[in-house]
Amino acid sequence: MTNVIEARGISKDYGTGASQVLALHAVNLAVERGAFVAIMGPSGCGKSTLLNLLAGLDRPTAGEVWLDGERIDELSEADLARLRRRKVGFVFQSFNLIPTLSAGENVELPLRLAGRRRRDARRTADRLLADLGIENRRNTAPAVLSGGEQQRVALARALANAPDIVFADEPTGNLDSVAAREVLGLLRSVRERGQTLLVVTHDARVAAAADRVVTLRDGQVSTETTLGAVRQVAQLLEVGQRS
Amino acid sequence: MIATLLKLSFAGIRLRLLASTLTILLTGAAAATIVLTLEVGTTARDPWMRTFNAAHGAHVLASFRSEADSRTVANLPGVVESDRPVPMATATMIVDGREVRVLLAGLDGQPQINVPVQMEGSGVRAGTIVLENSLAQALGIPVGTSLTFTTPSGPNELEVVGTAVLPSQPRYPRSNPGLAWVTRTTLEQLVPDQGSWRWQGAVRLTDPSTAPAFVGSAYRLFPPGTVYLQSWQDQRAEALREADPIKVIATAYALLLIIVSVAVIAILIGARVSGQYREIALLKAVGLTPRQVSTIFAIEAATLGAVGILIGFVPGVLLAPRLAAPAAATLLGSPEVAANPWHILVAGGVILPVIVVSAFAAARKSTRSTVLQAIHSGTLLPASGSRLGRAITASALPIPMMLGLRDLFARRNRAVWLIFAIVVTGTAMVATLSMQAALNARPSGEVSDVPAELPALAFTLDAVLAVITWSALVAVSLLSIRERIRDFGVLRAIGLTPNQVTSSLVSVHSAIALISSLISIPVGLALYLAIYWLASGSSDTKLVTTPWWWLVAVPIAIPFATAVASSLPARLAAQIPPADAVRYE
Repeated sequence: MTNVIEARGISKDYGTGASQVLALHAVNLAVERGAFVAIMGPSGCGKSTLLNLLAGLDRPTAGEVWLDGERIDELSEADLARLRRRKVGFVFQSFNLIPTLSAGENVELPLRLAGRRRRDARRTADRLLADLGIENRRNTAPAVLSGGEQQRVALARALANAPDIVFADEPTGNLDSVAAREVLGLLRSVRERGQTLLVVTHDARVAAAADRVVTLRDGQVSTETTLGAVRQVAQLLEVGQRS
Repeated sequence: MIATLLKLSFAGIRLRLLASTLTILLTGAAAATIVLTLEVGTTARDPWMRTFNAAHGAHVLASFRSEADSRTVANLPGVVESDRPVPMATATMIVDGREVRVLLAGLDGQPQINVPVQMEGSGVRAGTIVLENSLAQALGIPVGTSLTFTTPSGPNELEVVGTAVLPSQPRYPRSNPGLAWVTRTTLEQLVPDQGSWRWQGAVRLTDPSTAPAFVGSAYRLFPPGTVYLQSWQDQRAEALREADPIKVIATAYALLLIIVSVAVIAILIGARVSGQYREIALLKAVGLTPRQVSTIFAIEAATLGAVGILIGFVPGVLLAPRLAAPAAATLLGSPEVAANPWHILVAGGVILPVIVVSAFAAARKSTRSTVLQAIHSGTLLPASGSRLGRAITASALPIPMMLGLRDLFARRNRAVWLIFAIVVTGTAMVATLSMQAALNARPSGEVSDVPAELPALAFTLDAVLAVITWSALVAVSLLSIRERIRDFGVLRAIGLTPNQVTSSLVSVHSAIALISSLISIPVGLALYLAIYWLASGSSDTKLVTTPWWWLVAVPIAIPFATAVASSLPARLAAQIPPADAVRYE
């Protein structure tokens, strides 16, 4: 399988001199197309920094980032923005919906940025909101939506242009257990549609749904566990026991 | 508690030097115009009194149809001194090929009262003429010039031997025809028809303060319309009317500056409240009531306003004599600094309540949310989902502009105040341009009764207004960016380029500026006509001679200045990496 995301020896420093903080150090990571990868680790280990660098939201201090065969750490900000428009969806922990736009308008926005006609964008946004069960909240302001609803709108916005890769930073971090379960179900459906999914999480349930778990410690990859094979074996064992 | 509120207010002033400076500048400019309005009328008071004393001025001056009538006034009770009546007649002289009407006083020896105070040359003698000083200056006639008078018997040449002033004679051309002195014999040669003469009598009273009452009782002795009487107080008021156009302009600008200060204070306090939303919630959490929180902002505005008024008093006082300088042509000495302390109190009495109330109201409105809401959200949440907002989204506007407009109208109060401030500034500019155009449109050689300093004053005040409004625009841009940094990060994460982020701010502010400046054109023309009407009593729309390209320059210059004001902060905001922007609180 081809790698859709590749990090080659990426490092990230913040600050200078004595106050310099090394957030990531020479991280290598490759993610295959269609994979669901969870990134875990203690607070401050560099999970979100890694996700931001891979999504092109920030630039590494050293190393290379490749996205779908294109080196993105050298792209201009405008080219990066266009690339994100086409290929990337991003879900934030704190939802980050645009407060002056309604739920539906938040979902329409990336579609219109990608050049879709207003009516077409509206139709697609309506379908996405219906798929996520919040079609009745279309004209509602983000401020009056519940956390779970906001995260569903954020997910709909991230999926609007059917991006190849969806990045999610602690998507269940601010949700209660019921809402977290719902969002996890939605993430699974993303993966089932064949989109690549990279999720930073502390939530073991989210990690358990992934194909691979990458654990960071002190800005470096400490372990990588492939769960897909384990899960397949477990499923086979389960089928065998039933029969 | 008062000490705590004061401490918090002063901490706010120290922490926000830009906003504090802007408030001081604004109130200082408003105070300067108010002080100028009040001072300009009084700066010539002392020089006029000196001229009156030097001329042994008339407590009552009377103009009659017959010489005999003047004796009636001279014999009235209360008169301590009277003089022979002086014959007056209008003649025509040729100056630079143009006919100029002039009022000639035919002196028969040296008068005892209302004596012409010599400024240059010598006194009048047969075959010569002495010109009133402002007339000689306005027409550019130096001593030694030979003037040709048209008389029934043909041209008559008179040499100008001197210039003089009189306390009863206002400046030419406001008082037109101007005044000149000849001997009585010369007057008989120039205007032989004595039926067209009038007689001017001058008396002094035992008690000068009774002059107005004396005038009233004297009028009753003559048939209506046959006599014109003027007390010394009327003469002084007429001489000091020189400052009227300046007073009207300064009053108009004082009003405009006060209006803009309401808008800018509301914007700045709104910005402060938004920036300190969580802090305000914490103050409320520890026991401050919304009224006390608003009081902090009101104290802050009052303190800055008081500083601004004190600073504004100085230029107001110093500018007043300069702007009243044209009056010097009719006086012994130039207008002087008056520096009446009451004027600072008047300025304070007008400005302070306005800024304190607007600060209190702006803060009060923003302190209504619950403590928990404020602490959780950390920022004042904008309104969303309005019909106007949906219409903007559904429109065919480019996405950056649509996003900018949605944000602007989500904070409607700020948008309205911003539009208001730009309209007022544009209005002032259009009015000044119209005034300048009217001055330019006068036939060449025609002497203007508008002091040359008037357009300069108006353009200076325009510049002050423009600087204040521009600074407010920068403040609004910075505020919008501060409030939207996280949104900008999100927008860039979903595909907006840095240029689109910049244009979402710049294009909206420029569009608002364009609309506001278009509104300001008719309003500015109306203001110009109103000022003209107040200063001269005429309100003919033909007075509007402003070239269309001058007017077009306003909706070009204002949006351009707005784009400059918002583009630099917007570009800086667009350069923040999205990952950092979304973490911003």
